[in-house]
Formats: sequence, structure tokens, C-alpha cells
Amino acid sequence: MLRVRGLAKSWPGGAPLFEAVDLDLAPGELVAILGESGAGKSTLLNIIAGLDRADAGTVTVSDTVSGTEVTALSEDGLALWRRKRVGFVFQAFHLLPYLTVEENVALPLLLNGVAAGERSARARAALEAVGMAMHAARKPASLSGGEMQRVAVARAVAHKPSLVLADEPTGNLDEANAAATMQALRAAVKREGAAGLLVTHSAVAAASADRVMRLAGRRLGPA
Amino acid sequence: MNAALVATLLRGSLSGNRWRSLLAIACIALGVALAGAVHTLHASALDEIDRAARLLAGTADWQAKGPKNGFDDAAFAPVALHPAVAVASPAVELEAPIAGRNDAVRVMGIDPFRAARLQPGFLAEGSAQRNDEGSTTLMDLHAAWLTPAALAKLKVAVGDSFELGGPKGSVPLKVAGTLPALDGGGPLVVMDIAAVQYLFDRVGVIHRIDLRLKNDAAREAALREIAALLPPGVALVRPDEAAMRTAGLTRAYRVNLTALALMALFTGGFLVFSTLALQAARRRQEFALLRALGLTAGGVRAFLAIEGSLLGLGGAILGTFLGLAASRAMLERFGYDLGAGFFSGSGSTFSPDPTALAIIGLLGILTAGAAALAVTRPLARLDVAQALKDRHLDLPAPPGGWSWPAALAVAAIVGAFLPPAGEIPVGGYLSIVLALAAAVMAVSPVSRMLLDRVPASDAPLRTLARAQVKSLPGHLSAMVSGIVVSVALTAAMAIMVFSFRVSLDGWLSGVLEADLFARAAPQGDAVVFSPEAQAKIAAVPGVRRIDPIRFERLTPEGHAGLLTIIARPVTPTLLRGFQADSLEVPPRGQAITAWVSEAAVDLFGWKAGQEVTLAVSGKRATFRIAGVFRDYSRTWGALLVDLADYRAIAGDTLANDIAIHLAPGADAKTVEAAAGRIVAQVPGAELHDASFIHARALAIFDRTFAATYALEAAAILIALAGVTSSFAALAWSRRREFGVLRHLGLTRGEVTRLLSLEGGAAGIIGAVLGLASGAAVSVVLVHVVNRQSFHWGMAIHWPWLALAALSGSVILLCALGASAAGRAAVAKEAVQAVKDDA
Repeated sequence: MLRVRGLAKSWPGGAPLFEAVDLDLAPGELVAILGESGAGKSTLLNIIAGLDRADAGTVTVSDTVSGTEVTALSEDGLALWRRKRVGFVFQAFHLLPYLTVEENVALPLLLNGVAAGERSARARAALEAVGMAMHAARKPASLSGGEMQRVAVARAVAHKPSLVLADEPTGNLDEANAAATMQALRAAVKREGAAGLLVTHSAVAAASADRVMRLAGRRLGPA
Repeated sequence: MNAALVATLLRGSLSGNRWRSLLAIACIALGVALAGAVHTLHASALDEIDRAARLLAGTADWQAKGPKNGFDDAAFAPVALHPAVAVASPAVELEAPIAGRNDAVRVMGIDPFRAARLQPGFLAEGSAQRNDEGSTTLMDLHAAWLTPAALAKLKVAVGDSFELGGPKGSVPLKVAGTLPALDGGGPLVVMDIAAVQYLFDRVGVIHRIDLRLKNDAAREAALREIAALLPPGVALVRPDEAAMRTAGLTRAYRVNLTALALMALFTGGFLVFSTLALQAARRRQEFALLRALGLTAGGVRAFLAIEGSLLGLGGAILGTFLGLAASRAMLERFGYDLGAGFFSGSGSTFSPDPTALAIIGLLGILTAGAAALAVTRPLARLDVAQALKDRHLDLPAPPGGWSWPAALAVAAIVGAFLPPAGEIPVGGYLSIVLALAAAVMAVSPVSRMLLDRVPASDAPLRTLARAQVKSLPGHLSAMVSGIVVSVALTAAMAIMVFSFRVSLDGWLSGVLEADLFARAAPQGDAVVFSPEAQAKIAAVPGVRRIDPIRFERLTPEGHAGLLTIIARPVTPTLLRGFQADSLEVPPRGQAITAWVSEAAVDLFGWKAGQEVTLAVSGKRATFRIAGVFRDYSRTWGALLVDLADYRAIAGDTLANDIAIHLAPGADAKTVEAAAGRIVAQVPGAELHDASFIHARALAIFDRTFAATYALEAAAILIALAGVTSSFAALAWSRRREFGVLRHLGLTRGEVTRLLSLEGGAAGIIGAVLGLASGAAVSVVLVHVVNRQSFHWGMAIHWPWLALAALSGSVILLCALGASAAGRAAVAKEAVQAVKDDA
């Protein structure tokens, strides 16, 4: 589960961006954070991912075995933690153009030292789950935006992370593809038992979540 | 495409790629500067030689020239008295050692009254008398008139005394005056001809007769009649032929050095290609947008061609100025010959050749323009709609098949068998260029073959690096091509130089078979060992025997090239030392047995079993060629003959060198000291043991090739700069990808290592192909270029250690360069990198 306490972050000039942010996510729960542009949604997500530092507060991610206080880790420690425990879905998909669809999905498994046979089987399974198995051998450039994002979802959960973070995952997609992506993301979170956190300015996308919160006026609260 | 649009696009392109553009300009400039400097040095040297020949010849329109040791001065009177001759002026020429210095100066003996009619510049003596209140007169035996360059070289002024070495001892001379009208003719000491003949033991000998024919003379007939009056071995030549002969003798050296400099320029061309290609790849979406907005494909091509030409122009201008400055500085510090010993002279003539410099500059621009054209061709086929959507980063890749490299390789083999043009191995150079082109065209298929053979791995960085390198064949080709060319050239030169050095080392060991060697005139040619001096050395206790060695240089009748006669006792041991193909010394018959060098075979077409007739000391003698020997001492022909035979023909008992063999058990140091005391009586003469001469010859060899080492280093540096620059640009373009990888859990260090692996892979492919093509080029260099230029045969010897060090350094530096580029690219925050739209 994810546990955020008293998180605060200021703009470089010193003005507060958000403060006293508390958030709890249970395994298998998908939470959406809504907010206007510039409200600090992505910054909050990046702090939780260990890609940005908070001015105050703690972020702890735990599963059945152990808990990790993210805010206390070194940069390399954070990288290793992300490698094992975090899955990402980006607005711009960010699939590596020189790898096939299956290789892209298998990338987190490769980074975690999973053997080739198992890597391929798990990547195939993840692609199967998002309905993209038939495109496993293709390069990303030959896919549509919606297809690329479903591959990105498969990549985000292929290594069974504790936490899946999605930053405007439907921002580059039309309605139909946005709905398909959200469905895939929700199903993946539920299937893998990961805590899922989604930041978006789309109320339609947020509607797929179990719980919706809003970041406004420097505070995070129920929508 | 209008000028405003070009200016706008150029501003964006050049400012956005400032460092890469500057690097490309610097690389072209380096190549242009090297070629320009080498050419300017040699043009200046040849200009001084040419000017000296013209100054000294004055209004003479023909010269009767004989062998280096001169000819009988009895030949002068009949020529001077020929009715068609207006003026005839005899001259004695020699190079005399300067007392107390390891240097020599040219001495010319003239008949002042005759010489002044051809060259008034010889008449400067009046001013000397005004400046000098002493008793110096024209008839003073020890009076000498010096050109300004000679005054500077000898560090003397009018009225000062100085000493030169002569065969009979030191020759004291006094500066009687200066010859300002001969300034520009180099350092020259002019004396009365009789004084030179007497003081330098050349009585009865002259070297040259300068002639001016009467205007109304029937020239063809007169020249035939005058030629008939001359003794065998003396021929009529034009005065400018001396300069032309020097130019001919040094042509191979000059062409080879210039070719190396141009190779550095063309290697720089690869960097321009990768710079422009990478820009084109990075700006693919921008070009697609411009196409969508109405710019034609031709407009895009024209823009890139203009950009490439501008880079070339910048490099050409900068390189020309750098080359001029460098040649001026090198001239002042090292003289004309970059340490190779081919050119002597004052080094005071600085004669840049504007036409040649313009051609070299134009080559720089053309190289850059050709690189731009190579980039622009695939852009004509740009799929605008696709390019607007995707972020494909690759460069246009060359064709990936084997047919082009195979065809070029076959053409390279054919080129190697073409005959030389003059003494320029055109076929050899063509073969090298084709071999390098084959290697460059083979980069794509070889890379694919090698990468396909890398087994799949569970190591994430290795897997990612392999996938990345395979996915960008265009980038890989552009980067690896530069490495291939520079490694090939460096490896080829290293193999050639090593083969030459090992061969020379072995040859020296054989040739220097005696224990001690005395040389009468290590500087110049004025001093020789008299028969008395030879006898004294032979009589030194502990000396088993001596081999006097006499050299004579002449031009065989019917040929333009020079031939040195080496007269010394010939034994099977000596022939083995000279690596002769026949070690048997046949019994004396009617014809005199002789062995000829490989150069004589190449230049005169002589072969074993053939009989050749030469004019030696004014007498015709027929030699039967028994075999061919190796002569690394000279690039012109040589003929080895037994000393007894030579003395019988020439009646010349002098010796230039003496090889001294010690008796068994004799103490070398004691004998060397005793013989040294006798040798010391001959001014300027030296005595050394074989190991000293061996080591000195190798040191001279190393100095000669120092310039080529510098050029090799420049070629490697250019290629590595290209790789680092390409990786830097590529890494910058891939920073979004690195951001994603860092989101997925790669540390900054791992991303940097990923780039190192990719750089190392490029380095390995470049080193493998470079070594393979370098080995092929070295075979052409050794067996074609070297043989046709210098006429030296040798076997290939592989410098394994140097080649391993070269490959290792290239791979390591590629990896380090890529790693440095990666560090800069991952310095940016991962969050920002994935959001960047660039």
C-alpha cells in the first residue's frame, strides 16, 4: 500500500505549491487525482515516484513483506526501488522505438534480471491482458496511439509492481482509446494487486478510478 | 528558396549546433592546413634550388655536366674554342665540411673573368676591396667571396678568416667580399677555380662547363658537335635540369607526404558528413514541416548543400592561414624537409604557391560539399507525413549488401597492378582509395553480421545496447566509417613503417659486416682518403684487412636517372649482407661483373645476365649484371662492382669510406683508438664501430617518419572527435529515452554505461574493419607504393603489439567518448527529459 504524510513542496521562488498532503492507497485500489494545470499533480506524482524531492513529509510504500520510506532513499536506491516496485504510464507513451512491442513490455523484467524464457512468457501474458498479444513482434512506430498506450500499461505491470503511477495517460488519446486505456489500467491494477495512482485533468478518465481526489488551493481533498 | 529563408535556417542550424559545426570546420581546417603546410615547405625548398640554379647559371643556356667526381679539365679547351660558343666558363663544385662543425658548405671554383660574362653577380669583389683594407686580391689563393646566406651560415664578415676541410688537411680561407647579387642562391663560397683545384686536391678536374652559344649559331648542329667533343659520361643539359632533377628525386617523398595530409582531410570529411547527417536527422520533423508548408525537396537539399559548403569554406580559409603560419614556423625551426634529409638549403626562402593552396582549399570545400550531397540525397525521398509524426533518429544508411564492397575490393586489387605514372604510384593510390571505400561500404553488412552473432543475453545493458546499435544503422555507419578510415590508415602506416624498419635493421646488420667504419666526408664530398691514409689504417696493429669503398655518381647514357657506383671488395659475405639474389662471385671474364640495386632494375630496366656500358672516369666500360641487391641508402639506382675492377677502369685509388676488419683476438678499443688517430688527420672524417652506425641509421629512420606519425595521430584524433561528437549529439537526441529508462529504474551510472557499451561496440566494429582494411592497404603500400616510389623491396612484418594497442585505444576511447556524451545527456532531470518535446 501507499502511505503519504504531510507532504509539502514549494515553487523554486519559495511560494508553496502544495502542503500537508496526506494520502493512503490500498493494494488493488485505483485513485485518481484531478486538478487544473499547474496545480502540482505531476509534481506530487514525481515525488511519490522518487523522481523529485519534497520539502517536507514522507512517502512509504509497503507490500506484504516490507515497507520502504521513499523519501529516505538515495538516488541510486530510488532507481533500484523503482525498478522493482514501480510501474509508469506516461502521457506520451515513451516506448523505446528500437525494441519490439514484446521487448518493450519485457524491459522491466530484463532490468530485474528475469530469465529470458520467463521474461517472454510474462510479457506475453501482460500483452494478452491488454489485448495486444497479436502485435508482440511489431515495432512501436507501426502502432496507433491507443495501441501504444495499452502496451505501456502492459509494461507498467509486467514486473508486478507495488505501485503503478500514471501521468495523464489519456492526454494524447481520443475518447474511445482513452476509455480502452483506462479499462486496461484499472484491470491491471486489480489483477496485480498494485496500488494505482492516476493524475489527470480529465473527469472522464478519473471516473474509472475507485476514488477521486482533487488537488486545489495547495491542498489535496475529496473531489 | 530565398536568401532570407536560407539565412533564418542557417542561423538556427549553426547556432543550435555551434560546437559540432566548429568541430567540423576545425577538422577540414586541420586537413587543409596539413596539406598546405607540407606543400608550402616543399615548394619553398624547390624554389630555392631552382633560384640558385638560375642565379648561378646566369645567361648560360647549356651546361656540360659530368659525374659527381668530375671529369678531366682537358675537355674545356676544345669546347671553349668551338666557333658556336660565345662564352664558356668552367666550374668546380664540392661540398666542404666546416671546421669544428657538423655541417658543410657548397664551394664553387670559377674563372672570374669568364663567369662574370655569364653572371655579373660574380663581380662583387670591388665592394669587398673597399671594405677591406687588407691585401686580399682576386689572385689570392685563400680568398673567398661569400653569398649573404654563406656569411650567415659561417657566422663571418668581410675580412674574417674561416676554415674548411680538404683532403690534405684544413683549408684556411679569408672572406674577401660578398656577392649580394647572388642572394637567394643559398649559402655559397666562391673562389678562383685554380685555388679550389689546388686546395681541395682536384687539380685537373672540373665538374661543369657553363655555355652560352652565339645567337647566330646553328644550335642543333653546334650542340651535336660540342657533345662529340665531350668525354664519355659528360652530357649537355639545360641549366634548370638540376632543379628538375632534385624535384624528380624528391617527388615520391613529397607526393607521399601530401597524400597522407589529404587523407587527414578526407577523414575530416566524414566528420562533416556525420555533423550534417545528424542535423538532418534531428531536424527531420522541421524539414518535413517546411516541406508541408511548401518548400520543395530541392530547396531542402540546396539548404544542406549551402550549409556544408559554408563549413568547408570556413575550414578552407582557416586551414590555409594555419598552414601558412605552420609552414613558416617549421621552416624557421626545422628547415625544408621535416627531418627527412631530402632537402638541404638555407631555409630562408618562403614561397607559398597560391594556385596549389587554392586547389587544396577547394578540395576542403569539395570534401564538405560531397559530404553534404551524401546527406541530402535520401532527404529527397523523405515521407513528409511519416516524418511529421515520428521521431525516428537514424541517419540515411548506405546500402547494406555485399555487392558494392566486393566490387570495390576487386577494383582495388586491379588498381594495385597498374604501372606507375612517372615515379608516382597512381595505381597504388587508387587501390588504397578503393580499398578504403570498400571498407566504408562494408561497414553496414559487417556491422549487421557481427551484431547478429552477438548472443542474446539476460544482461539488461548489453541487450539494450545491442538493440540500440542495431536500430541505428545509419548512425553506426557514419561513426564507424570515420574510425575505419583512420584506423586503416594508421594501421597501414604502422605495418609499413614496422616492415620497413625490421627490413632496414636486418639489412644494416648484413651490410655493416666489418667491425669499424671510417668515413672521409660525413658532411659534403670534398674530403677523401688518399692511398697513403688507407695504407696507414691497414697497417694499424690488430687490423686484419680493410675494404676501401669508393662512390661515383653518374647518369647512364640514354637514361635520365642517377646511378651511384659502389666500388668495394665484393665477397659472398658482402652480397649476403646486401641481400643479393645471387651470392656467387663469378670468375673474371671479358665483361666486369656487377650487381645492380632494385631501383636500377625499376628505373633502367636492367636485369641479371644483361650487359650494360657505362662511362666511368671518361672511359667506357661494360658490366655484366650478375644479380640484384637491396639498397636502402638511396632512391636512385646503384651498381656494385669489385674495387679492383673499378680501380682498373678509373685509375682512381681514393676512398670515401673504409670498412675495417679486425684480426681475431684484437682489442677493438685499442684498434679503434689507433685508427682514430690516423682518421683524425683527415679534416671532418669520422670513425665509428658498426653498432654506432647501425643505431644512427635507425635514429635517422625514426626521425624521417616522425612527420607521418604526427599525421597518423591527427587522423585518429579527427576520427575520435567525430565519434565523440556524434555520440554527444545522439545522446542529446535520446535524452527522453534515457529519462524513460531512469523512470523504469536505471541509475544515471547505468545509463552512462549503456552509452559506453554502444561506443565500445562502434569501436570494436571500427577496429575490426579498420585493421582488416589497414592490412590490405599496408600490402599495397609495401609492395606497390613503396616499391614504385622508392624502389625498395621488403617483406611484410606485423607489429602485433602496436596494432593491439591501437585497437584497444580506439575501442577504449570510443567507449569513454560515448560515456562522456552520456553523462552530459543524463545530467538533466529524468522528469524534465520525458516531457521535452525536442
